[in-house]
Amino acid sequence: MDRSCHLSLIIDLSPSQWHLSAQPTNPHPLSFQTFLSLVLTFLNSHIAAKHENTLAVFGALPGKSTMLYSSLDADSSNTNDPPADANSYRPFKFVNTIVTKNIQKELDLLEGLTEEPPVTLVGALTMALCYINRLAHPPPGSVATETTTEADARILILSVSPDLSASYIPVMNSIFSAQKLRVTIDVCKVYGEETVFLQQAAHLTGGSYIYLERRDAFLQYLTMSFLPPPSIRHMMAVPRQDKVDFRAACFCHKNIVDIGFVCSVCLSIFCSPVPVCSTCRTKFPMKTLQRLNASRPSIPPANGVSNGSPRPPSARPSQGMSASLR
Amino acid sequence: MNSGSDSDSFDEGDLTARGRKAKGKSGSRANEKGKQKAKDQGYAWEATYTRSWDTVQEDEAGSLTGAVAELLARGRRRRLLAPAAAIRRTIIRHLVLLLDLSAAMSDRDMRPTRFDLSLEYAREFITEWFDQNPLGQIGIVGMRGGIGERVCEMSGNPQDVLKAISERHKLEPIGEPSLQNAIEMARSSMSHLPTHSSREMLVIFGSLTTVDPGNIYETLSSCVKDRIRISLVALAAETKICRELCDKTGGTFGVAMNEGHFKDLLFELIPPPAQQHTGAGAGGKMSADLMMMGFPQRLPDTAPAALCVCHAQMRAAGFLCPRCGARLCDAPTDCDVCGLMIVSSPHLARSYHHLFPVKPYSVVTTLDGVTSTTCHACARPLEDTPSANVSEGVSPFDRYRCQDCKSDFCTECDVFVHDVLHCCPGCET
Ligand SMILES: [Zn+2]
Ligand SMILES: [Zn+2]
Ligand SMILES: [Zn+2]
Ligand SMILES: [Zn+2]
Ligand SMILES: [Zn+2]
Ligand SMILES: [Zn+2]
Repeated sequence: MDRSCHLSLIIDLSPSQWHLSAQPTNPHPLSFQTFLSLVLTFLNSHIAAKHENTLAVFGALPGKSTMLYSSLDADSSNTNDPPADANSYRPFKFVNTIVTKNIQKELDLLEGLTEEPPVTLVGALTMALCYINRLAHPPPGSVATETTTEADARILILSVSPDLSASYIPVMNSIFSAQKLRVTIDVCKVYGEETVFLQQAAHLTGGSYIYLERRDAFLQYLTMSFLPPPSIRHMMAVPRQDKVDFRAACFCHKNIVDIGFVCSVCLSIFCSPVPVCSTCRTKFPMKTLQRLNASRPSIPPANGVSNGSPRPPSARPSQGMSASLR
Repeated sequence: MNSGSDSDSFDEGDLTARGRKAKGKSGSRANEKGKQKAKDQGYAWEATYTRSWDTVQEDEAGSLTGAVAELLARGRRRRLLAPAAAIRRTIIRHLVLLLDLSAAMSDRDMRPTRFDLSLEYAREFITEWFDQNPLGQIGIVGMRGGIGERVCEMSGNPQDVLKAISERHKLEPIGEPSLQNAIEMARSSMSHLPTHSSREMLVIFGSLTTVDPGNIYETLSSCVKDRIRISLVALAAETKICRELCDKTGGTFGVAMNEGHFKDLLFELIPPPAQQHTGAGAGGKMSADLMMMGFPQRLPDTAPAALCVCHAQMRAAGFLCPRCGARLCDAPTDCDVCGLMIVSSPHLARSYHHLFPVKPYSVVTTLDGVTSTTCHACARPLEDTPSANVSEGVSPFDRYRCQDCKSDFCTECDVFVHDVLHCCPGCET
């Protein structure tokens, strides 16, 4: 841990998902209060790991994303300085107070809502990327005392909401920008079903995607897997998910397809041959449609893949099948 | 250039301007003199080229800040001028790179030699090209000893293409180049391509002569008929046939002035070309089509090893063809067994930003009714006192506003959103 590193944490603050997560019927119920105190402990460890480490916290709320804390802008000489407390280390107290206060403020704003729009994680993700880009380009006037430009930057997403298929393209654009900025995206799926988009985000940026199975061990997952910066992870056996779903969702029904029909102009994906592209209104030649309809596999492939359900990891072709091909 | 002749060189009239590099072989002294001349009067192809470092001026305090801001402003104005409607771009591209491997490439007017520099830039070009055109394919043809040599078959795998030009000693420049032979060879490898994909040739040409077995104008007209777009980067000087090849096929022609300019000329050809609707010539309208593609699932590194169909080697990780179950090492590729085009969805998504660009942000010139004090994306505090004498297209408050979500952004984020991120942070929330 020679170099300082920057952590941008994205917290999914969907009230309804957190309500579900806290239900006692879950195998390991996790309430938002417990979750937040564990996250704050993790943030304190990050600050304590190295004096120069920087931190930003973003919240993804229903229909809104906001910055909850930033070590660049939150000056400790601020007027809303927390009262001195003999029993706590001041920088820890400072982060904890600001993050808690801002989350409370945002959640209070949600009170009036009758209907909860879905949480758009991608908003927070794009803000985190812009913030990291800002770190990489300090204003020309300022003296570059901090070595932020060389710092390892990473984003950790703590997600509880399912994928939002409408945000597919922005999520992908964010992933490619992260690659350009050399930012690692880590994902911890705290509650809810697996998300294909975040799996791809972690895979394509060299991060870890971890589905939290033992939610009573959340802090251990955080400290063991997500505290070490990516540069030293190869020396540690950090768990990561290797299997990645690269299948695509069709634009027409949002089904997950393994064989799709793609418009050559806009690359929209359809689950069956269509005469006109619904995205760019391109008409396809009749000949192609006839040919594609004829060559469509009428029987599902040998390994029994059907739409929608992820393929079980054991469903690979038998050794004999692959071996006999050449 | 006339049919039947064994070896013909361009006569003086063919050179619209006689350049310093035409004398390259006659020794460095002549070269120096030529350079002097170039400085004095300039050549036709130099007229439009301005070095970015020539335009940068320090201000009184010796700082470059103002100049950098001016460059950014120019980029912003250019974006505003760009057509608002999403232009159709050719996403599926096929390119044959024609490398001059003739003796002219050993010239040292570019460091270390034209040949080494071309190889180096070709490598960078290929990497970046595949990054921006993930569904494209590149083939390489070499020109030396009067014939065209197939260096690399059309391939969608950057590793294969890079490997083909990694062994320098196999490509040693020798003899005379033949544009006609090489173009014919490249043309034949593109004849089977579907109509919805582009057919492009990029020629890196160091010589001033070409040794052709027949009439190159016949080759040119068959290229026009096949809708092949030829672009050429000349390292020596402008020649009539080279310019004509590009002009008639809708490609671009450029003469590299120096190492940096050479790279700029190559890299300008990387973004997918816009499709012209009323297409005349090679850049014309291409028919749209529906393509069947397979989206594989990536196997974990811990999966039991099996033979891959592409290399016949035992591999643990890899992709499975969704139609026939064959194990493939890489995507995108065509399945070796059933021929299905295998593409992972991120490959498709990489192209979406060309089709759905972020609308340019407007320049905020007044703070009336503004409530935000920080940049919406990066939380950088924004100015509330206007800075004096800003040029056109630059906000005195460093504020740029999205017309859809009405959020304000700082200069840095405006550039980042449009050049890298390709989605507006305000609109996504
Ligand atoms: Zn569908
Ligand atoms: Zn389309
Ligand atoms: Zn293989
Ligand atoms: Zn197959
Ligand atoms: Zn900003
Ligand atoms: Zn916007």
